[in-house]
Amino acid sequence: MSNEIVKTTVTPQGSNVDPPVDPLVFTPPIDIFETPDGLVLLADLPGVTLESLELQVQDNKLTLFGRVHHDLPPNARLIHQEYALGHFLRSFILSEEVDHERVTAKLNHGVLEVFLPRLPKAEPRRIPVTTS
Amino acid sequence: MAVFRWGQAWDPIRDLEREVDRLLASVSLSFQGIRVGRQYPPVNVYEIEDELLLMAELPGTRPEDLEVLVADGVLTLKGKRSGAEGITDDHYRRQERPRGDWQRSLTLPALIHEDKLTAEFTNGVLRVRLPKAPATVPRQIHVADGNSG
Repeated sequence: MSNEIVKTTVTPQGSNVDPPVDPLVFTPPIDIFETPDGLVLLADLPGVTLESLELQVQDNKLTLFGRVHHDLPPNARLIHQEYALGHFLRSFILSEEVDHERVTAKLNHGVLEVFLPRLPKAEPRRIPVTTS
Repeated sequence: MAVFRWGQAWDPIRDLEREVDRLLASVSLSFQGIRVGRQYPPVNVYEIEDELLLMAELPGTRPEDLEVLVADGVLTLKGKRSGAEGITDDHYRRQERPRGDWQRSLTLPALIHEDKLTAEFTNGVLRVRLPKAPATVPRQIHVADGNSG
């Protein structure tokens, strides 16, 4: 692929930045790693802001939905495209070992970080055994 | 039946929606951003009146790790993405996000004002504004008559 980013003499036909009627939705790439206290989930959401991000836990399902607004002026004309524009959606099933009530999240430089704490293990209960 | 397994003792998260997709698409399993034969990062370029706007998605890059250089008509973007600190690979249950050092050079069209270029990085998206230089007036060159004198 050429690194020539602009073909100055060519005017592409029909290219514009009008928001598509049915915007594309992408599955963002994620990392999941384990820490002593639980799991950390990282998702790449470039262009998503705190206001445009929805993160919810319902029953045992964690869903993230990030809207991307480009703030491009109406006269902007797309002349070279290597990635498509769209929103981000992905959902996960949480196991019962995750403490759903204590899930926390932060957004930093286009990366969502969700902390999924492990439920504290119940202490084993000693059951006295007697002879009859 | 669980189609996809984490394969570890603790199995708390299953990514339901992708399980079947992954099996079907396992041959071409590639991550957004780093596709085979693709340059990283992918860029889009817009023309807005008398300037060009270059956009690149660089989620997770810290601004201090990002370099934008311009010299001799070539725009160079340079940066790195580190993994989580203190987390070794065996702690990862899933790893799809690209990481490592990257660099990409792009040839600018000749008509760009290099010294008026500006860049900003917000929400993981880099925007570089490239103002177009005004078109120069053609200069007439006098051709001397070599036969005279």
